[in-house]
Amino acid sequence: MHRIHLAPAFLLLLALGVSAQDRRTQLENLLRALDRNGDRKISPAEFPRGEERFRRLDRNNDGVLSEEDFGRRPGGTEADAPKPNEPKPATEPAPGTAPGTERAPTPQELDFFEKKIRPVLADQCYGCHSARDARKKGGLEVDSKAAIRKGGATGPAVIPGDPEQSLLLQAVRYDDPALRMPPKGRLPDEVVKDLERWIAMGAPDPRTTVPLAAPGAATATEEKPLPMRRDIDLQAGRKFWSFQPPKKPAPPSTRETSWAYGEIDAFLLAAMEQHGVAPVGDADRRTWLRRVTFDLTGLPPTPEELAAFEADNTKDAYERVVDRLLASPAFGERFGRHWLDVARYAESSGKETNVVFPHAWRYRDYVIDAFRHDKPYDEFLKEQLAGDLLPAQNEDDRAENLVATSFLALGPKGLSTRNRQQYTMDVVDEQIDATTQAMLGLTVACARCHDHKFDPIPTEDYYALAGIFLSSETCYGTMRGPGNQHPSALLSLPPGALLPDGPSMSPEQRRVLEGLRDRAQAIVDQAGAATPRRRPGREAGDAPKEGAKPGEAGQGAKPAEGAATPRTDVVNAVRIRAARDQVASLDQLLARFEQDGRPKPENRLTMGVREAARPRDARVLVRGEVDNQGETVKRGFVRVLENEGTPTIRRGSGRLELAEWIASPQNPLTARVMVNRIWLHLFGAGIVPTPDNFGMSGQPPTHPELLDWLAVTFVEDGWSVKKLVRRCVLSHAYRLAATEDPRFEKVDPDVTWLWRHPERRLEGEAIRDAMLAAGGLLAKDAPVGSPVGTVESGLRAEALLRFLEEDRPIRSVYLPILRDRVPEALEVFDFAEPSFVTGDREETNVATQALWLMNSPDVQRYAVAFARRLLALGGSDDERIVRAFEIAFGRRPSAAELGGVREFFRDFAAAKATPNAPAEPPARGGNRRARPPRGQGRPGAAGPEAGLDPKTTAWAAFCQALFQSAEFRYID
Amino acid sequence: MDCCHPDRPVSRREILRAASCGFGFLAFSGLARLAAMVPQEEAGGDPLAPKRPHFPARAKRVIFLCMSGGPSHVDTFDYKPRLATDDGKPAPGRRGGAKFLASPWAFRQHGQSGLWISELFPDLAKHADRLCLLRGLHTDVPAHAQAFVQLHTGSFQFVRPSLGSWTLYGLGTANQNLPGFVSLSPPSGNGGAQNYGSAFLPAIYQGLRVGVDRGPRAARRDDEDAVANIRNPRMPTKAQREQLDLVQRLNRERLRKPGDDAGVEGVIESYELAFRMQAEVPELLDLKKESAATLEAYGIGAGDSDGFGRQCLLARRLAEAGVRFIEVNQGGWDHHRDLRQSLERSARSVDKPAAALLADLAARGLLKDTLVLFGGEFGRTPYAQNGDGRDHNHKGFTMWMAGGGTKGGFSYGATDDHGLEAVEGRMSLHDWHATILHLLGLDHEKLTFNYAGRDFRLTEVYGTVAKDLLA
Repeated sequence: MHRIHLAPAFLLLLALGVSAQDRRTQLENLLRALDRNGDRKISPAEFPRGEERFRRLDRNNDGVLSEEDFGRRPGGTEADAPKPNEPKPATEPAPGTAPGTERAPTPQELDFFEKKIRPVLADQCYGCHSARDARKKGGLEVDSKAAIRKGGATGPAVIPGDPEQSLLLQAVRYDDPALRMPPKGRLPDEVVKDLERWIAMGAPDPRTTVPLAAPGAATATEEKPLPMRRDIDLQAGRKFWSFQPPKKPAPPSTRETSWAYGEIDAFLLAAMEQHGVAPVGDADRRTWLRRVTFDLTGLPPTPEELAAFEADNTKDAYERVVDRLLASPAFGERFGRHWLDVARYAESSGKETNVVFPHAWRYRDYVIDAFRHDKPYDEFLKEQLAGDLLPAQNEDDRAENLVATSFLALGPKGLSTRNRQQYTMDVVDEQIDATTQAMLGLTVACARCHDHKFDPIPTEDYYALAGIFLSSETCYGTMRGPGNQHPSALLSLPPGALLPDGPSMSPEQRRVLEGLRDRAQAIVDQAGAATPRRRPGREAGDAPKEGAKPGEAGQGAKPAEGAATPRTDVVNAVRIRAARDQVASLDQLLARFEQDGRPKPENRLTMGVREAARPRDARVLVRGEVDNQGETVKRGFVRVLENEGTPTIRRGSGRLELAEWIASPQNPLTARVMVNRIWLHLFGAGIVPTPDNFGMSGQPPTHPELLDWLAVTFVEDGWSVKKLVRRCVLSHAYRLAATEDPRFEKVDPDVTWLWRHPERRLEGEAIRDAMLAAGGLLAKDAPVGSPVGTVESGLRAEALLRFLEEDRPIRSVYLPILRDRVPEALEVFDFAEPSFVTGDREETNVATQALWLMNSPDVQRYAVAFARRLLALGGSDDERIVRAFEIAFGRRPSAAELGGVREFFRDFAAAKATPNAPAEPPARGGNRRARPPRGQGRPGAAGPEAGLDPKTTAWAAFCQALFQSAEFRYID
Repeated sequence: MDCCHPDRPVSRREILRAASCGFGFLAFSGLARLAAMVPQEEAGGDPLAPKRPHFPARAKRVIFLCMSGGPSHVDTFDYKPRLATDDGKPAPGRRGGAKFLASPWAFRQHGQSGLWISELFPDLAKHADRLCLLRGLHTDVPAHAQAFVQLHTGSFQFVRPSLGSWTLYGLGTANQNLPGFVSLSPPSGNGGAQNYGSAFLPAIYQGLRVGVDRGPRAARRDDEDAVANIRNPRMPTKAQREQLDLVQRLNRERLRKPGDDAGVEGVIESYELAFRMQAEVPELLDLKKESAATLEAYGIGAGDSDGFGRQCLLARRLAEAGVRFIEVNQGGWDHHRDLRQSLERSARSVDKPAAALLADLAARGLLKDTLVLFGGEFGRTPYAQNGDGRDHNHKGFTMWMAGGGTKGGFSYGATDDHGLEAVEGRMSLHDWHATILHLLGLDHEKLTFNYAGRDFRLTEVYGTVAKDLLA
């Protein structure tokens, strides 16, 4: 039986535990690759990767690489020692361990029990073998750890670690005709294997007491066993660092006393001193200016700004730069986009149906404005959760508050889900997930099907939150159609509010849409003549009180029964229904625009939430299954985070109280999570390296006191993001150079202690915006709305996609963000997946980026514009080259670089003279990326190479090379 | 900043700095590695360099013929005589009086092994003795998007690396001029990029998408331009080479400065691969050099089978060129109605190309170490829907494997009498994944990646290798 050797392997995996085991994996990989003589040691002779590398890996300097070198993390943190709040990882399999000495089960083991074992025991065995059941057949109970081990009349049911001797396993295997359980039929093979595996791993079992309902509570009605651990200890859970309220620590004293400018530096320096590193020198002024300008605005500094700052000898030169950048409108665009990553912002529903959200852009603009005007962060959060319930000074405020609630409405939606209850719970789940991860750094949604595996969050807490969202109505629009079973209302904005009506539609677009509508109408009319049983009056009935409920018109379009042959009938009915849906949605869309394409006041709609007619508490869904309802849970919050300051739900859904509870100085997580989010955008990594997970499975802070100091100060500063940013970028730490120091590199290769500034790769937005800016193409002003605002449909037609994906010379933050169709310029550079809360993007360098920068017509267009701008300057070629470096890199070229560029111009001209075989333009096809050459006439749309003189061609190639270089995409 | 990534590869700073002409040297080193198949330890820690498997592998590469939509098993590879006798009888336990629907197609035994295959696949049936039918598959959810993503990543709730990414992570790739994982015309829906995504694995392991399937009406004759930005029609290669030499020169200048090099190295290598791909990919995707006989054998130019035929031929070319994992996608198997016509059309579109692929691989000696997989995200119900259609069925369905160390002419597992539920040799997708990894020489319990503080596997905490089907 091959199953036997599986168990130890599984245990080995468990033994790896939850702490940072990558080093051990690394060792295993090295051993696999390099250990020729099998002694589990690697000698220098076996190591082909160079001495320096070997020395780095050989931490204990004993001349061989062995387990000892891989046990601890650099910098002396004990990677392998179990953290105080974590269950100990199993180091040994525990067959037959006596109860007194038994180790605690690991989270993985408990996970396995909850997923695989408890449901089986509950469904298959509790019926006859539980404390609640009077029968307790054979004297056996299996509903607690003690009972299952004690067993019944024939002996222990389970002997931990010994499946073969465990009666339970003998029974479920059905091998012994006298002992077959469950009696009504053998369990599936995999279930039997699971049980075997469970016993082999030592039968980890958290059921210390009799499950849930006290004996007295059991009634004659069907019992629903709840898959909940009863052993979540909230009191103990509150001791976890991030659930403790932050206290403002005094800045530590340091040996070196002249380096720190302020508290931030003092905390950082103390940590450096403690870990044996010291700050490198400061960055030069140009490097600092480029760094801070990109960080605060997402744009490069101009050569003029660089020159002015270099020449500025006044005392407050740095302060004035920072204040200028904080005041620039681009600050809102930059930090707004960071929040949009966290808010999983997108303009379509994603998943199978992927229909557009034409009004989502209002939320985008709201977020940008909030950061631009430094809206206090607590207000910002409250508005997003409960803007509709907040008092408003005037109609402008009211409008803003409503738009803010789009946060809850713009998540991905499985609109084709047929089961309405399932759909509703999925929407609620997404809201819980986004809210708790974005604002609290907690993964509460893990508790949908079972108690949270790592954090003290019982399933009841999840359903307490679910009740709040179930008592609210989510309004996201969309039209009924094939694949969309769940269109919803939208919210109307107050008529007097100072808000744009929305984007305009071009006359051609309007004509195309009208044409489509008429064609669809013709199909409907034809069908109407043939099938008189249509019921056109239906839609009037369920018109909602506020806003439009688009697409309801299509609901009456059931296939007409009793027509000719069944099959043509079905096909026709589907076609007619689709046409009718299309007419309805196009009518609805066209009604929002004037004949000339300008938006009408009817277009003043927003996504968002409002209170449901009647608030209600949710019932726990056992294992998250909608048809498996458990007990009702009162609406409430995450109990482990509650304290004296926690409000109680007074009326309505409880969203307002939820908002107050989250956006409160008493909440231990809210401020910490936000300061960490801001920090990582300025220093490359979060103080908590897992910005969306401050729970027990996240990583602990590298500088806990600094984190708390920042969090408390943030609240004291009135939750001002700009003040926080200002403090960070005016620190001495932020001014450090990015230069390596081999002494410190060895101790702290990941620059955890910030003894130098880490390089960071720019995001796709900044790379594209910098290219547009270099070419002088970038529009200064924000566009009104989004092109998505003039559309109302799924994303199938190629023509529509080409229209939406057209590269407009606007800042990248304003490009349409459609789920699964993210603009290429952003997608290739690790854009935040818009279906997830993303606090920290990846920074990869892969071939698809290279191909895009080499061959995309867009990039070539930017390069041509850059070249023309340079050529329009007077002066010599060398002066132009210098200027180009200043624009692209914020510095002058070295002599070697200048020589290299001159050489390039010579060689390029020669190479250009020997063309390839004539290449055809890319064929039109179904491929999304192989776009046909773009049309002429748009700003900056000089068809690349079309009629370019050789000089411009060469300069464009040079400019494109600057775009392609590593330096362009890195900030030092 | 990628704190989650495993140990960074050894810095190539010295090599890169020393090279007077970085590009030429790098291109050469890539080719040299291909020629010599230098094992990992001498490849300088390149994350894509070929790696030794955990134990001797039976298969070196995978071609996955992925049939999205859920092909009916009871009309193709899972013969159910009871369905014929119970035709029209109400299916037990079904509300609304669903009735069994006999397969409209006749089944016959084929080859020496006598495998039962329906007349929908006359060409594949000729390879019966090469097929290893898995008739006991089952999956968790009867919904396309979820099941499709689970088929590819093992999980539909969470974003996880795809099977191809895990394979590439575990084994590296043989040809450094090409990506190691290619997905041909993956559907834009059903999870889209997730199905060839690397999730938390380093991005270098993600699949390269070639073309995209936008549904049956979209044109699919875009072989050469199917890779995004693979060509530059405006700049001659030699001129672009000059341009890249300048780029690399600037990058090398940056390496000379003190600072972290991993990023710059990554950039340099990304251009290296991109430039080599430009040279190799269009030629590889260009089928014009294949003989008329080959094109005919794959059904290229013949109506229904043209699209899939091209892709199968491409798959063979990619396999030959050293790509580790190739997925070929064919949609349109979601036959809720009109089974007779539409399933026949679907089968016609893949039968000849798939058969030709097996024959071609065998003729070139590649089938013995190429694992060919065929199947969709679930099967279909034995009872009827909409007259002569079938609904989704996740409780039992069939896929097959061929080559790569699997038993030919073999049938593993079974559904019940009507084909509704897998009852014997039951195989979850985790088991399927574990078995595939096993054939590739990888232990699914040892192929782990540490992310967010814990070790992840393709098979989570599940998966049993179906050893019975190993040759």
